[in-house]
Amino acid sequence: MEKTERGTPMPQRETAAPIGKLFRVDAFERVSGSAVYTGDVMLPDMLHASILRCPHAHAMLKQVDVSRAAKLSGVRAALSGADRESKITVPYPWWVPDGPPMLLFDPHCRYAGEEVAAVAAESSEQAWEATQAITVEYEPLPFVANAELALGRGTVAVHDGGNLVRPVDIYERGDLTKGFAEADVVLEETYRTSCEIHTPLEAHVSVAHWDAGQLTVWTSTQAIFNEQKQIAAALNLPLSGVRVISHYVGGSFGSKAELSKHTLIAAILARKARQPVRLALSREETFLCVGNRPANTMTLKAGVKKDGVLSALQFTNLGSVGAYADWATVGGPIAGLYLCPNVRIQETETYINAGKSRAFRGPGEVQCGWALEQMMDALAERIGMDPVGIRLKNVVAHSQLSQRPYTSSGFKECLEKGAEAFGWRQARNRGKVNGPIRRGVGMAACSWSVEGGPPTTVIVTLLSDGSAKLNMAAADQGTGTKTAAAMIVADQLGVPVEKITIEQGDTGTTQYGKPGGGSHSLVVYGPAVRAAAADVKRQVLEIAGRELEVPLTELAIQNGKVIPLNAPDRAIPLPKVKGIIEQQALVGVGHPGPDPAGKIIMSFGTQFAEVEVNTRTGEIRVLRLVAAHDSGHVVNPLVYESQVFGGMVMGLGFALTEKRVLDERQTGKMLNTNWHDYKIPTAKDVPVNQTCIPIDPNDSECNSIGVKGLGELGTMPTAPAIANAVYNATGVRLTQAPISPMEMLKGLHPTLKGT
Amino acid sequence: MLPKFAYSRPMSVEETVVQLTNGSVIHAGGTDLLGCLRDGVFTAEKLVSIQALNELRGVRVLDNGLRIGALTTLSEVAEHPLIRERYAALAQSAGAAASPQLRNQGTIGGNLCQRPRCWYFRGDFHCLRKGGNTCYAVNGENEFHCILGGSGCYIVHPSDTAPALIALEAKAHIIGPNGKRTVPLESFFVLPSQDVTRETVLRPGEIVTQIILPSLPQEVRSSYRKVRSRGAWDFALSGVALGLKLRSDRIVEWARVVLAGVAPIPWRALDAEKALIGRRLEVTVIAEAAAACVKGAEPLSQNAYKIDLVQGVVEESLLAMA
Repeated sequence: MEKTERGTPMPQRETAAPIGKLFRVDAFERVSGSAVYTGDVMLPDMLHASILRCPHAHAMLKQVDVSRAAKLSGVRAALSGADRESKITVPYPWWVPDGPPMLLFDPHCRYAGEEVAAVAAESSEQAWEATQAITVEYEPLPFVANAELALGRGTVAVHDGGNLVRPVDIYERGDLTKGFAEADVVLEETYRTSCEIHTPLEAHVSVAHWDAGQLTVWTSTQAIFNEQKQIAAALNLPLSGVRVISHYVGGSFGSKAELSKHTLIAAILARKARQPVRLALSREETFLCVGNRPANTMTLKAGVKKDGVLSALQFTNLGSVGAYADWATVGGPIAGLYLCPNVRIQETETYINAGKSRAFRGPGEVQCGWALEQMMDALAERIGMDPVGIRLKNVVAHSQLSQRPYTSSGFKECLEKGAEAFGWRQARNRGKVNGPIRRGVGMAACSWSVEGGPPTTVIVTLLSDGSAKLNMAAADQGTGTKTAAAMIVADQLGVPVEKITIEQGDTGTTQYGKPGGGSHSLVVYGPAVRAAAADVKRQVLEIAGRELEVPLTELAIQNGKVIPLNAPDRAIPLPKVKGIIEQQALVGVGHPGPDPAGKIIMSFGTQFAEVEVNTRTGEIRVLRLVAAHDSGHVVNPLVYESQVFGGMVMGLGFALTEKRVLDERQTGKMLNTNWHDYKIPTAKDVPVNQTCIPIDPNDSECNSIGVKGLGELGTMPTAPAIANAVYNATGVRLTQAPISPMEMLKGLHPTLKGT
Repeated sequence: MLPKFAYSRPMSVEETVVQLTNGSVIHAGGTDLLGCLRDGVFTAEKLVSIQALNELRGVRVLDNGLRIGALTTLSEVAEHPLIRERYAALAQSAGAAASPQLRNQGTIGGNLCQRPRCWYFRGDFHCLRKGGNTCYAVNGENEFHCILGGSGCYIVHPSDTAPALIALEAKAHIIGPNGKRTVPLESFFVLPSQDVTRETVLRPGEIVTQIILPSLPQEVRSSYRKVRSRGAWDFALSGVALGLKLRSDRIVEWARVVLAGVAPIPWRALDAEKALIGRRLEVTVIAEAAAACVKGAEPLSQNAYKIDLVQGVVEESLLAMA
């Protein structure tokens, strides 16, 4: 299967990448509890810190005095905005270049949960008690907790410049009037999504330690180098003076892609106390201050011809980012998922008095999919076409923004093979039962462009005993990156996975590498790991070739041995190769090649859902889910399935149960900051019957191992697929997510009073 | 963070009563208690654990019924063969409560005495039930609140087992500083109009020791059905406990219809019972009974759906018995 490396620069996809259902390399550690997560880090003399947060949705801090708290037993340091060392502007992540200043402790408190002061003490109990002893006085201000109200005349201004985050974003192509004139059917609908919280299993936590002016921070993050940069900028330190470590991450979904204030607060308290400080957020705090998926109100007007060809899409979106800048634009799928010549997208983003949003698995695409994919379903019905059929009519093979072609597209296969695996035709044609329990099926699709490429450096070292070390920045927040990377090294070097040790997630010991996010971890790291391992392999073969007097082209490495292909009996185990013993270690360095010039790497997915609706009670049960995803070559089908299944569970929560509830009309405070009132799906809500089919378009252009992205896509089409299935079951189109029994009943009984 | 408190673990019921001084709170399963203390929902100077009182554990068959110790876990109640056979509504309601982990630890006594789940009561709001002046639910986020029996305060009672026990005509044995008393569970719960600061008739220092179920005629059938936003670890949006005695010609001789999730107490729908008794259990009668359940309902701004929901769930449950 594998051709021999020639020691020349890596050509694109010269060999197939490995494939195998390997258990995760860190599965035992994670499951047994022996993995040292950030919260497990214990340092000598380590203190515990706690943060005092503003209880008002909007307030001016009149006074804050930590002197009484500082005197309490066990307290080693206290901090508020009054202290010189806390006069810090927290840098935004690089993808939010235009935000208003975000002060570490701003006397103008813009949401309930904003940081006001902090204490470090010998125990977490002492620290918390001390925060309760801080003298603090607020002048509560009127607040605005709703995007529509935030744009009203004479409304409360969250920031001095008003509530518009940035100028209204408009994208246009073609001629909308012409497009609608050409349409045989034009539909318009308004769709609303709720604010969703990431709520990863592992809550946010940081440990900060200073040594000779150098700061080491253990923190649960998917982006060690982002955080290093933000911390260095905030504390005015050189990058070389900040080391960020994050070995195991228990979920993140975007909420750990940027620096959080608690990390900086731990660092400043540690410097002040001259002792290491651990600051762990409570579950409740993680609902307030470490991000969310913004709520969006979207109106979509769509025109389609009788044959299913889209002629016009007009889309407006209003989204709220919370109290500080982020993105609430969502229009990507309108602009690019389907071929459509005439498009207008208008997006407005507002501040409100609530926690700031952050990137969240499939940011924007999930919300927009809720609108677009329900609209496609409605259009198909109106023109008497099958929902799969209308999508097949509008498949596009290039970006309509840049006109660049995709390196590959498995979209058509995702639609066709997904439908086949689901038994779509039979399910759609099944006779309807008119009893109180109704069944229905629905589907939806998605795409996501992935950026790989430099800068990222990976080092692979072959040691003299035949074991290997893989050194890379990559986070593995549950995505299986480590496992896939180890498989690639094993494939190249012929070293078994058990003999590969991975050093990762440490800016002090690894080289710069891109964060885990944007579904690009394997796209960035896979080719880099392969290049580094190939570099080592080339060295091994050169050394062994000299010793065996065999040309490189006639050598292979398998099962820890260098094997002359024409004389397998002369094979030498790696630890016996003299040249390796002499050097003790062979070091290979790898980088991802640049993304193919003039092209776009695009992943695709479709999902199919079957639901059962109890029309008496509004209960919705998802009976089965089938996914077909084109994420390029699949290295580890087991991890691939886990990613998609996890994504679908998240999408199911978005569709049916999850929403942030703010006390909008009275106090502006969040009411459901816990796992009972904020309802993520339980095992009983998730169907046992889930299937996932990989679609591999054999992409030879995207990168050297043919992988595209997957992580975000698994969660994108689930919710609209479920909503479409509910429509198919009941004839009721529900446009407000989540479809709780309340929403379902309101849809079934439109005469119901109330909101 | 958990505030400081004293802790005692008496070895007898009598000693427990002595220990229950002012500012004390009983610690049984503790599944909700520690969270309430941590969140400052209420305070406790002292926790009196009753975990050592083995006489309060387990299910015993009596000549004229069944006795369930207050410390019996919800799992034990849900899985007990005799309860499943004779008192199906109770087994089903205990099995529908909370999550498997919570049912393994939580007790039936605790399930009856638990505090409400209203997010204003549980949150950082000085509401009427906590001694404040306002019920925030009235003008606030009230999709989970009551449509019946509210006045001043609009909580729903969170217990699943209570409606079932009322439908089965259960009683609670109570012991306190003034001795023992027995209260039918139907009279155990307190409406906000009677006292907005408490949910039960328990006086300071009193504890529930046993639940007594009467023996019921063989023909009595019962059920509990709960609707919630997700499949587990969720309280009822609406639910119904039914007890019915049907003649062989399907005429209803005796009926209990007790609603969950719609009122500050488990809500006995007397009009629905009246609509059933003496009549044949068939579609029109069932529809009439379901409609009678919501007679007098006054929804708040966001919970009118419960009017349809409770009718739907009652109709479904009655049809299942027909």
